[in-house]
Amino acid sequence: MSEEGISAGTSTTLDSHEGLGPSATPVTSGTLAPSADGSSLPGASLLGSSVVSDVEAVSPRAALWSQTIRVGLALLGALVLFAVLMAAKGVNPLVAYADMARSTFGDTTSLGGILVRATPIVLASLAVAVPARAGLINVGGEGQLIMGGVAAMGVSLGLDGSVSPPLTLVLMALASMVVGGLWSGLAALLRLWVGISESVTTLLLNYIAFDLLAFLIFDRWKDRQGSGQPATRALGEGERLARLGGSRVHLGIVIAVVATVVIYAVFKATSLGFRLRVVGGNPEAARRSGLRVGALLVTAMIIGGALAGLGGFTQLAGAEFKLRGSFIVGYGYIAFLGSWLARHQPIGVLASCLLLSGIAIGGDSLQLDAGLPAASVHVLSALLLLGVFGFARKRGVVT
Amino acid sequence: MIEMPSPVATAGTVALLEARGIHKRFGSLVANDGVDLTVAAGEVHAVLGENGAGKSTLMKVVFGLYPADGGTIKVDGVPVAMTSPSVARAHGIGMVFQDLRLVPALTVTENVSLALPLRGPRLDRRRLARTIEEAAERYGLAVDPQATVRELSIGERQRVEILKVLLTGARLVILDEPTSVLAPQEVDDLFAGLRTLRDRGLSVVVITHKLAESRAIADRLTILRAGRLVEHAVDPASRSDAELIEAMVGRHVKPLSTSRPAPARTATAAVSLRDVSVREPRRGALLAGVSFDVQPGELVGVAGVAGNGQLPLYEVILGLRRVSGGTVAVQGVDLGRATARRALAAGVVGVPEDPLADAVVPGLSVFEHVALDDLAGVRRRLGIDWAKVRARYNASNASSELRAASGERGLQSLSGGNVQRVMLVRALGAPAGLIVAAYPSRGLDIATTRRTQELLLQRRSEGCGVVLISEDLEELFELSDRIVVLHGGAVAGIVEPATSDRYEVGRLMLGAQHHEGATLAMTGSGAP
Repeated sequence: MSEEGISAGTSTTLDSHEGLGPSATPVTSGTLAPSADGSSLPGASLLGSSVVSDVEAVSPRAALWSQTIRVGLALLGALVLFAVLMAAKGVNPLVAYADMARSTFGDTTSLGGILVRATPIVLASLAVAVPARAGLINVGGEGQLIMGGVAAMGVSLGLDGSVSPPLTLVLMALASMVVGGLWSGLAALLRLWVGISESVTTLLLNYIAFDLLAFLIFDRWKDRQGSGQPATRALGEGERLARLGGSRVHLGIVIAVVATVVIYAVFKATSLGFRLRVVGGNPEAARRSGLRVGALLVTAMIIGGALAGLGGFTQLAGAEFKLRGSFIVGYGYIAFLGSWLARHQPIGVLASCLLLSGIAIGGDSLQLDAGLPAASVHVLSALLLLGVFGFARKRGVVT
Repeated sequence: MIEMPSPVATAGTVALLEARGIHKRFGSLVANDGVDLTVAAGEVHAVLGENGAGKSTLMKVVFGLYPADGGTIKVDGVPVAMTSPSVARAHGIGMVFQDLRLVPALTVTENVSLALPLRGPRLDRRRLARTIEEAAERYGLAVDPQATVRELSIGERQRVEILKVLLTGARLVILDEPTSVLAPQEVDDLFAGLRTLRDRGLSVVVITHKLAESRAIADRLTILRAGRLVEHAVDPASRSDAELIEAMVGRHVKPLSTSRPAPARTATAAVSLRDVSVREPRRGALLAGVSFDVQPGELVGVAGVAGNGQLPLYEVILGLRRVSGGTVAVQGVDLGRATARRALAAGVVGVPEDPLADAVVPGLSVFEHVALDDLAGVRRRLGIDWAKVRARYNASNASSELRAASGERGLQSLSGGNVQRVMLVRALGAPAGLIVAAYPSRGLDIATTRRTQELLLQRRSEGCGVVLISEDLEELFELSDRIVVLHGGAVAGIVEPATSDRYEVGRLMLGAQHHEGATLAMTGSGAP
């Protein structure tokens, strides 16, 4: 019986806990782990051979290709579906699409329009992406954009030319980041201290931000010398972002691209980025490795809010120059979709936000040329996103 | 003058279940490669093999949970397409899973009724209870039909599962690793029940990786190794233990060396627990007055039926859970208002019980996981010195001994066994004064289990304190200097392997009253 002890091995929970059958087969993103039982087979028990030969990982390039093709097919499907809707409204879809393409890419003015539109959206989208990598859902891009703009305007009004314009501009940018960060940080703290989901609080904070904006432009900050419209006075010439090459495009797009690259580098190369990814991937593992999970969550949220705040600043100092009711119109929500579309990868966020801005600009042509209602562009955006979410991902995978 | 076989004789020789040439692939993995299984009526048949040998896969193919990629299944000599468990059930095949599928809040009768086809809108509890009682009597599986499942022991729950399967008309009951959650005495009860089933003409298939148990219960053995059939329906008496082990493992495994230095007796214990209790609002006392020390160079085993305080104990020592009373000191550092950070800094590392839930971060590589526990040690300016992480991992003794996966692989994409290897490398390679290993050999094959045990002993002889939480009494007796037995969150007794045996530990695990530890448990759980 000397070998009895050897054979009396251990429990096999890992071996066979997937007993529910096919429906319980764990589906993981990237590579498939068919079943714990099966996947440990070839190497794990053949002692002589190399032990490590699990499920062969799908090569990254092949995965990228298949992903690209899936996304492409999904987008095509959405366009076809929208064509059917247009046809139902009596519009020739081919003509409408051609007009759309022409008005979007046809001239430099509309290309510039895309870049201007994309600037706050990219920054607000990074504000979704950074917390998302840490496992948080920031729906508050809209409010953080508004608060960034409010803070920047507040600095301009408060200083009222008492310091040099370039310094004012820098202070405006800093204030927008601080206030944006505080606005979103509040949501993170509420989650940690009171346990309210940050997706609810950030959404509610959007309404508060908008009400605050309304109060300021109708009352406290209203330009009494103006036309009577609810709006603040305009920024002084020196307090505006420089324009690029005489177009409408302003320095904001450069700020947005730099921010994208910085965030990319943070996740690629820094310890902070690594820790945020760990918290986002498995908070319990993070806790067990001694990471300060709460502090990291707040940090991610503050970074996000600061980026969106900066987006509000660029919109104010680069495009709007004054606060009014339509200062930010749904950019935060487009940004939210942009981040999810790109799976919260910074470079992808930049690309998807440019795409969504292009659709928004192109959508204007649907109204003007094809005579479709203004809501059509929202329908088209929604179809594209649903297409990508619905068909481009493996079933059961929630990113 | 050839005699035609009579129909009766034919029926006698046709196997109840005959699976031939079963193939089953998962992606690029061949889980079953031409496996046969023949089960006669009225026998207990053990399917023996290591973790990952393909036993569970085979039985799930037979039970219709996985569609086979090749091969035939015959029941009573008639080919059957096992497309779903309901087909299997219709042919009299039932399966009892390792994780029992009972609803804790319902009674035994109600649980059984869930498995039965509904007849009419009203559930005739009394008649069903009578049916259950009759079946329990007939098959020697004593249960109280009125009892709420939550109040039942694991052994009793298992009997309910078996009865459930029998009452749905099964002639063949498949049990997946039925003993893994049972204390030795409960195993004896289970086996007595299975023998009764056999004597009543039913067939039983037991999936197991434990040789001694398959010897104790099986009339015939089928052995799988790495998805292939090694032995088909052999009489266990015709093979020696050594032959069977070789059939399972493919190579002889050296026993552990028994000579080892005595633990150091220093002023500072590797970990010292004093009257530690953990209470939770709804769950009551998870730990009650637990006190013991682990010296540097000492390996203390922790035995207990699953769910008797092992995990709270693990969490308390690793600073993952705050104690409600008492103190925990790791290498002289009082964990006090514990955080994992503080515990790690004090020099403790853990092998988690459930790596998938508690340690695996999706999307991160093996290297990244290894870096995680010691981020301060591998920091380089704002970033992380990945070259250092890589070098550490690749140079680690444990990583080569355990043949751990290459560091670039995504940990999530590895099998359970390979994830476990990485967990072991991370803990055994760390410069810690205390290792707390929860079920370290889970999911590992015999040879790797043995190497893991050797590495634990090696760390012990280097002066590291080791707490080994295990369900495997053999392992605990082989490795431990002392064994702490937990019952109901309290220390039911502390025994020395040399002067104790499995049955004494088993009695303590089940909460024997005669030991002073047991009274501790009672006062502990009653304390406010």
